[in-house]
Amino acid sequence: MQGSDHSIVRAVLAGDKEAYGALVRAHSATVFRVAFRIVGNEADAEEIVQEAFLRGYQRLESYQGRSSFGTWIYRIAVNCALNRISQPGIEADYRHGEESDPEQKTVQVAAQDADPERVLLSGEIGLAQGIAMQRLTPTEKSAFVLRHLEDHSTTEIAEVLNIAPNAAKQAVFRAVQKMRRELAPLRGNA
Amino acid sequence: MKHLGDDELVELYYGEGTGESSAHLEACRECSAQYARFKRSLDAVDSAEVPQRSADYGDHIWEALQPQLIPYPKKTEGWRHWTHWRAAILLAGCAMLLAAVFLGGRYWERITTKKTTIAVNPQATQRVVLVVLTDHLDRSERLLVALEHAGSKDRTDDAQLQSEARELLAPNQLYRVTANNAGDPELAGALDRLEGVLAEIANDPNLSAADIKRVREDMNTKGILFEIRVLRARSSDQDSGLRAAKGATI
Repeated sequence: MQGSDHSIVRAVLAGDKEAYGALVRAHSATVFRVAFRIVGNEADAEEIVQEAFLRGYQRLESYQGRSSFGTWIYRIAVNCALNRISQPGIEADYRHGEESDPEQKTVQVAAQDADPERVLLSGEIGLAQGIAMQRLTPTEKSAFVLRHLEDHSTTEIAEVLNIAPNAAKQAVFRAVQKMRRELAPLRGNA
Repeated sequence: MKHLGDDELVELYYGEGTGESSAHLEACRECSAQYARFKRSLDAVDSAEVPQRSADYGDHIWEALQPQLIPYPKKTEGWRHWTHWRAAILLAGCAMLLAAVFLGGRYWERITTKKTTIAVNPQATQRVVLVVLTDHLDRSERLLVALEHAGSKDRTDDAQLQSEARELLAPNQLYRVTANNAGDPELAGALDRLEGVLAEIANDPNLSAADIKRVREDMNTKGILFEIRVLRARSSDQDSGLRAAKGATI
């Protein structure tokens, strides 16, 4: 796959725009997954997928083939997602909605399962987890998603976020501490 | 016996713990029990289910993206279209050009009577590096001092703080890598810690007094400020030393 990705990149740079479609088809699901995990909603994740591939196309001449195209576009997508959650207003709206609208909890919980107790508990945990994630700083959140959910090493996280390995490690550590602190009240139930 | 800290538990959980930590975990019942609790709490954190994309998702993205893309200019004919005789003419041309350059060089050498030598002064280069680094440390020190007092006044000051952190972040990465390559662990370490603070301030979308307080406490910015001051003094001393060696006077 990597070898053929490289030859597709060469074809695109030689003027074959249509060839880029093969790269989009091959990597869009992965890009969507990481974007969704960072921004937390489908519409924004969809926009990030398009933005990442557009930026990728525009910067294709700077792609030197040291890593696979998949890794390269993944980094661009993480940075797009990081920029998105760094924009003031997006997270604030989310927090406001979650915290000030208790009915919203009930709606989310009721839609999932038949056993009311399990539904309530899993819904509560999921909601608390979502809120705890939104309370992380953008760097902490991205580092945590890459470490905990996407299973990347500290070195890879540092490369993707363009920070020092120690700063990446510290960001993961702070995120873990905050998540545990936020979810501690539910741990007894779980 | 020193027990494992939370940072070591995090490393162990993600499979990046040292052999020493793993050995301690096996030997110490207290740490083992604490790790089990720690693991349970982190195992419980899972991702919200990622919505499934259909098989033709990539096609939809491509359809939306395609009209926005401008094709790269088509490359001219490649080497494979060259015939042997064309390649031979090119080689002959190159050989003639080389010969002309060689003869011209010899002629030029003969008519030039005065040799000019440009010596690169390594001390001057080193001084430029020191001046740039001192300036960076100076700005970082001012930012950390401002950070110590930030959060109590209006938000304009915090916005300025954030903008300054954004400006300093990229050069700081460059200096850290350079210091690492130059084998200066003291400078590289301090810049590394400073980078964490700069990244936190620069990337926070709604920098509030509480965020600033948290950064101050979590990242020990006072300690970093002290380190930066020591390094700045060291850079200034080195700079003075270089000037004295050159015999310059101010």
